[in-house]
Formats: sequence, C-alpha cells, structure tokens
Amino acid sequence: MIVQRAIEEAGIPTIVIAALPPVVKQQGSPRYVSPRVPMGANAGAPHDKDMQTNILKDTLNALMDFDHFGQSKVLPYEYKHA
Amino acid sequence: MQLTTVPGMQSEIFAPVTPPPVWTPVTKPLNKSMVGFATAGGIHLKKQVPFNAAGDFTIREIPSNTKTEDMMVTHGGYDNSDVNKDINSMLPIDRLNELAKAGVIGSVAPTLVGFMGGGGNVEKFRNETGPSIANIFKKEGTDICVLTAG
Repeated sequence: MIVQRAIEEAGIPTIVIAALPPVVKQQGSPRYVSPRVPMGANAGAPHDKDMQTNILKDTLNALMDFDHFGQSKVLPYEYKHA
Repeated sequence: MQLTTVPGMQSEIFAPVTPPPVWTPVTKPLNKSMVGFATAGGIHLKKQVPFNAAGDFTIREIPSNTKTEDMMVTHGGYDNSDVNKDINSMLPIDRLNELAKAGVIGSVAPTLVGFMGGGGNVEKFRNETGPSIANIFKKEGTDICVLTAG
C-alpha cells in the first residue's frame, strides 16, 4: 500500500498485517502477512492477548526472514465476529 | 490470428496496475531494532482532532507510552466494533511495549502513527502523507516498521 511503500522507500524495512491480502498485493506491498481476521481486527481479536502477541511476533519474524519483494504468509490465527 | 483491431484502443474499465518493486533489506537483529507502527485504521488520541470520515489524508502522532483508554477511532470505511472494544486489535501498542520489555524487540519507536486509509486522495497520500510518516520514523531512528491496513 502507498504509505508502506513510502516508508520502505525512505530506507526502513516494512511489513503490513492485512485482512485483505489481495488488496495490499495489488497495491505493491513489499511484505505482508494475513491472519484469518476481519478488517478492523488485523492485529488480533479484541482482548485476546495471546492472539495479538502471536500475530505481532510472527509478523516481526516474517519481516526478518522474508528475502524478496511481495513475499507473504498466511498466519495461523482465526477470529470472526460472533 | 490478429490481436489488434484498433491501434491504441484502451479499456473503459479501470484496470489497476501494480507499481514497481520497492525493497529495503533488514540489517539488524530483531532484539536490537527500534520498531515503529503505523495504522490505517483511523486511530487517534481522544484529545486530537478526529479524522474526517468522508476522506482525510492527515496524520496523527501517537506517543508509544499512550494508554489505550486515551485513544479512539474515527474511520468511515470499516466495522469499528472490534477496535472500539480494544485499540490493540489495530494498534497493538500494549503488545509492542510488552515485547520490548521482554527483550524480543530492541525498543518501541517513541512516536507511532495513525491515519485514515481506504481511499481518499491517492496523490496526496503518495506525495505528502506517506513521506511525512516516513520522516517521523526516520527522524527518530526507527529500524523497522509494522503496519495494519487493508
């Protein structure tokens, strides 16, 4: 997405946690991960500290590991509205 | 078979084009890195001017020691119910500070950023909003940056 690309262009490696991975892919995101969550809970279910911690850690580790533009990973966490 | 019937003819249907690659390699280990965070989820401090839900390319600086109860959401483009219950669902500020305390990351950037994604003035986002957010992180020596968007 536009803002992510601007930060990356400024020399800071970036990664986006996306609920709509096809959208960020199309917009030229350099790196992205996608837990199975609705838009608005990208970083995990509300008040689910474990899920939020795991999503953030997995995202940071993906940022460390990814080695090419457009690389992505589905994260194994699922949340949907009741 | 002839593929071109009228030279220069273009589709009337908008066909988005993926921009060229942009890439900055990671150079520091995670436990030595200052981590920044930006969210397109329309998060801001309660005391700041809310976003214009009809479209807004401005940004809100969020100090990384802010308490979640001092933040709120103004965004007309998605279901805000989760983030209204817990800001951490879009801006995991408590989790970032915990990871810094545990030594998983080096530190949290002093300033995190909220903006309102999901459309608006694309030129402004590309030429003004994006670069100003990048400047904030750059100025503070942020090594890597995570975003929530899309």
